[in-house]
Amino acid sequence: MSADPILVEIVEGYLTSVEKEVETAIGRTSRSPMIRDAHDYRAGIHDRRLRKLTGRSYSALVDPVVRDYPIETMRPGDVFFHNDVYLSEGGIGHLPDLCVTAPVFVENTAGEPEVVAFVQAFGHHDDIGGTVPGSMPSHATSVFEEGLMVPPIRLWDQGVPNEAALKIMIRNSRMPESLAADLDAECAACLMGARRLAELFQRYGRADVEACFDAILDKTTQTFRREILAKIPAGTYVWEDYAEHDGVDPPRLHTQRITLTKQDDRLVIDFAGTGPQAKGPINHCGDYADGAFLKKWLAPILRNLADSPERMAELEVNEGVVPLIELRFPPPGTLLTPVFPAPTNARTFVILRLLGVLAGVLAKAVDGRMPADQETIRYTGVYGDDAEGRPYLMREVLGGGSGGRYYADGEDTIHVVPDSRNLPTEFSESRFPFVVEKLGLALDSGGPGRYRGGLGYEKHVRMLRDAHFMSIADRSILSCWGVRGGRAGRPFSVTIDPGGPREREVDALADGEPVRAGEVIRIRTTGGGGWGDPLDRPAGEVLRDVRWRKVSVDGARADYGVVVSGPADDPVVDEAATRGLRATLLAERTGDEPFFDRGPGYARLSGGATSAAVDRL
Amino acid sequence: MPLIRIGIDTGGTFTDVVAVDEETGRQASTKTPSTPGDPAEGFMAGVHKILRLLGAAGDDVGAVVHGTTVATNRLLEGKVGHLGFVTTEGYAHVLEIARQSVPDGYGNSYFWVKPPRIVPADLVRTVGGRLAHDGSELRPFSEDDAVAAARFFRDRGITTVGVCFLHSYANPEHELRMRDVLAREHPDAVVSISAEVLREYREYERSVTTLVDAAVKPSIARYVGTIASRLATLRDDGDAVPFYVMKSNGGVLSADEVVRQPISTVLSGPAAGALGAAVVAEAAGFGSVLTLDGGGTSTDVAVVVDGHPALTTEGSVGAFPSKIPMIDVVTVGAGGGSVAWLSPEGTLKVGPRSAGADPGPLCYGTGGTEPTVTDAHLLLGRIPPHLLGGEIPLDIDAARSGVAALAAELGLTPERCAAGILEISTWNQANALRQVTVTRGLDVRDFHLVSFGGSGSLLACRLADVLGLAGVLVPPDPGNLSAYGLLTVDVRNDYVRTAVARHAVLDPDAAGKTFDDLRAEASAALEREGFAAGERRYLRTADLRYFGQASEVRVEVPDGPVTTALADAVAAAFHAAHRRLYGYDFAGDARQEVEWVNLRVTGVGPIARPAPRFAPRGTGAVPRTSRPVDFGDGWADTPIYDRAALGAGDIVAGPAVVEEFGSTVPVHPGFRAVVDAHGNLLITREGHQ
Repeated sequence: MSADPILVEIVEGYLTSVEKEVETAIGRTSRSPMIRDAHDYRAGIHDRRLRKLTGRSYSALVDPVVRDYPIETMRPGDVFFHNDVYLSEGGIGHLPDLCVTAPVFVENTAGEPEVVAFVQAFGHHDDIGGTVPGSMPSHATSVFEEGLMVPPIRLWDQGVPNEAALKIMIRNSRMPESLAADLDAECAACLMGARRLAELFQRYGRADVEACFDAILDKTTQTFRREILAKIPAGTYVWEDYAEHDGVDPPRLHTQRITLTKQDDRLVIDFAGTGPQAKGPINHCGDYADGAFLKKWLAPILRNLADSPERMAELEVNEGVVPLIELRFPPPGTLLTPVFPAPTNARTFVILRLLGVLAGVLAKAVDGRMPADQETIRYTGVYGDDAEGRPYLMREVLGGGSGGRYYADGEDTIHVVPDSRNLPTEFSESRFPFVVEKLGLALDSGGPGRYRGGLGYEKHVRMLRDAHFMSIADRSILSCWGVRGGRAGRPFSVTIDPGGPREREVDALADGEPVRAGEVIRIRTTGGGGWGDPLDRPAGEVLRDVRWRKVSVDGARADYGVVVSGPADDPVVDEAATRGLRATLLAERTGDEPFFDRGPGYARLSGGATSAAVDRL
Repeated sequence: MPLIRIGIDTGGTFTDVVAVDEETGRQASTKTPSTPGDPAEGFMAGVHKILRLLGAAGDDVGAVVHGTTVATNRLLEGKVGHLGFVTTEGYAHVLEIARQSVPDGYGNSYFWVKPPRIVPADLVRTVGGRLAHDGSELRPFSEDDAVAAARFFRDRGITTVGVCFLHSYANPEHELRMRDVLAREHPDAVVSISAEVLREYREYERSVTTLVDAAVKPSIARYVGTIASRLATLRDDGDAVPFYVMKSNGGVLSADEVVRQPISTVLSGPAAGALGAAVVAEAAGFGSVLTLDGGGTSTDVAVVVDGHPALTTEGSVGAFPSKIPMIDVVTVGAGGGSVAWLSPEGTLKVGPRSAGADPGPLCYGTGGTEPTVTDAHLLLGRIPPHLLGGEIPLDIDAARSGVAALAAELGLTPERCAAGILEISTWNQANALRQVTVTRGLDVRDFHLVSFGGSGSLLACRLADVLGLAGVLVPPDPGNLSAYGLLTVDVRNDYVRTAVARHAVLDPDAAGKTFDDLRAEASAALEREGFAAGERRYLRTADLRYFGQASEVRVEVPDGPVTTALADAVAAAFHAAHRRLYGYDFAGDARQEVEWVNLRVTGVGPIARPAPRFAPRGTGAVPRTSRPVDFGDGWADTPIYDRAALGAGDIVAGPAVVEEFGSTVPVHPGFRAVVDAHGNLLITREGHQ
């Protein structure tokens, strides 16, 4: 049946509202800081055919639950649970993401309850066991070190919680109370969402509502076809990018490669050429359920092809994108097809990089009209004993600059997770024994370009007591790439006691670097890549960046060929000198520069080459 | 003895006026067009109009209370370019960094374009000197840097400056010295310092709040000054008329005090409506209600619990976060002027874009080109073919042809399309009402809704149906409830101090001293407002959290000396409040420590409220006329009632339409409206109480 155009709009708004209500309820009642403060949790609504109906964010899959518990066997009051990466059909990336699924029931004409939809949520919990607190051991070599694996189970059976299963899970966590509370919060929120969805079916009838589901997904398919796929010329394009270390082996290029083929109205994304499975925990289980999770994870990047940033923000990614994309995976044993029990807890670096690989391969197809690279997640922190001798751990996610776009500079110090916030200095100093002497922008860190990359942080933390510094970060050797003439941004770096007698660099993967009282830890995070030729950037914009202390006078000269002089508060552009310098810099070019700039660190890991073969058009 | 108090609410289209004669209890209300070019003009026109209605003279005016969002918002626009900012060395880019968060969906960080900062980076200056979180000095204030910053702004003609130094909430010394330097080196500068605007931790939010305060200070002072001097012309003796301005926290402030805390008056418009609704609902016997203020461009919803509108300190002024306490109002783009349109995918959308008052809905005949919610109501006969009791005729044919064109594209009849537009608008409002309740762990079905504003009650029955509300209360003069709310508001000032301390080591004397200091500040302000010592009331609250949490829960602090026992009682109240809000607490868990964060005192100067009105006893509802109305099941001749002719106890059974000056209540089939003792319409489903 065809859907009522008015009901479609109502149902779509209703689904969005229920999804938000479920997330609000989880955020309100959970205890883990990763959920409450860092907003690392998602809800999703799926139909009876396991299709994801809502599209503000990615979510896990219902497929593994239905695989093990056929729909006909589900009863009202049932709630399912899983976190087992290898039995999640690719929907769960690491064990701390605990996933709860509640089926939605409506009575059929015979008066019997039938499953019509699913409400699902997962959140990143404090601890699910394993070798280190937080269940994210950066040096793990097997999933058995990462915590307790729970395959899909019936956690609530017709309204009765399975006490045995809960006891086992809670016993295996270092934070048992918060784990129990978080699970309660998720179950209660999903059941509330399931009741709300049942009301929708009761009000409008199953056939009409399901017709709207079809219409909502079809709308997404048509929109992506019309506004996104139409922008990609038919053909085949190849690109690759790299993670630089896996926590176990010395740094090297861990390749993620995409061969993108646009044919007819579809995209084929082939991961052949992706590097071998890592010993350390950066693997991601992608090759399940036809890559249903990765399709929806990657599709948001396609939105950058829409006509304006406002339109990009309007486009939702639901199951409607799935018919447009085919994924092809290499045989088992690669970063994206790891073999059990390969570790996965730090797969974030690989799947975030994958977004950039897709952006890059698309850039090759559309003359660069895609954003340059960003890297906005890493964990840094300090731990030790405070003035009263009590142990503390300060751990935060520090963002970075986003890449330049063909319509705007990249933005400074942002984070890919929506609404995730940094720690105010006035909060941290009242809580931890240090002084944040500077919380600023890393000068010149944004990749030069017609549109400059956003800047990373420069944070100076002066310890008041002896402590240890920890860091889990990628992009400390390789940079965020620039595109179409844009240059790479500056990578992540940590220096202790800069300018002092004990000045030393710290690895991006550090579990416990000792820091003495009085020493300063200087953290610089990644700048975004630049977009377009920096020599094309109007001198006035470069001057403004100098006035805004985002580009130095030396950087203006070296990176942009703009000669700035005068007092620091009133700098001016020397027009004649700039013309001359820009002409000289232009003349020095070979005309054979690659389409992507990966920065100077690439040569260190590539054996001397300054660019990869795929970096040219 | 002048005894008339006047409330004036300036909106984008109309200026609403309500007056009460405190001697006789008589009330009157009216509307005049707003005058955006010079809001004082519409303001004074309203004063004169209401005085004529009451047959009173300027000398009879005892006080005027004013609330507005539009006027203050406009003041902010385009003002920020001339603003300078002084902050602590090392933090020059605090505004650029903000909180690193990107709004909305996953992946938006690739294309999101940050809105412009309130001060561009080249107009930010830093000054040496550093305090610790307890207010102690780590490095002395750099007088040289301060002088250089002051001269930098002076030389560039920057005459509005905000100052925010790290940890100044704990010790304002460095900010006070910075202000002295600015006064000496740059005497023309208007200055706001964060320790006086918001003494609360979190440097980014405090900086922006301080800058918004500075940005609006000159123009709000001018605006209020202009109105005060115009009001003085009301009196033969030329004496000042007591003039109060509504604050976003649900209090009022005398005009003289506005320059001390200008930011607190920004966004005051929605607050007055929620307060007025709370007062009306309480008189009707409902302590806790949802409120819905439907206007031309948007609809504001809020929650009232036990007579008090819920407050938030997470609001924003325009694009800028503001930590000033304000009534928590959620605004949705679903008002009478919301435009119905087809998305690129071919589905029907309603809002958030609005035709507003200009060009307005098609039926206004003032240049509108797109069908709106008002056009849909008119097409279906649910509103009369004129506005404001007949003052403004509406063009039914224009509405019909506009909706019909849209309907044709969707393959629907015009009636079905119009009903669909209204249904979508209903759901947009319903989803906002869910949001304000779910956030607080409340169930929407437990509440009555108070609907008001020009368009607020048009969808009342549909909202009751889709949300399963207990009922809907429509106060008399619903178009003027915000202006009425202004007459019910006390003088109210908030003072806060961040003083982080774990409960186990809390120094009760120090906390008591801070409360006393805050109370002294509150008292001094109330004294300036003319309240005698015996009239002043003080409410103490504190924000507590479990050690390690990043957000706090506010609880009341009982009167009396702060002792260990009193502090324990506050901690116990915190455990209980935490359980209410989040579903759990750690009262019995010794490992989870309670931490005190902010201490607050609110100073209240009570103002006489208008006595509740009583409606005369009804003699049975009799329709004035009838007309065809379509409630979704086809056209039917439907009785039309004059609200003014209804009395207490009268019952209107749906289908029916109740009309009054400035607003209309369609009573759908299956619903009925009962007039209560105060003249409110209480709408419930048939068979429900």
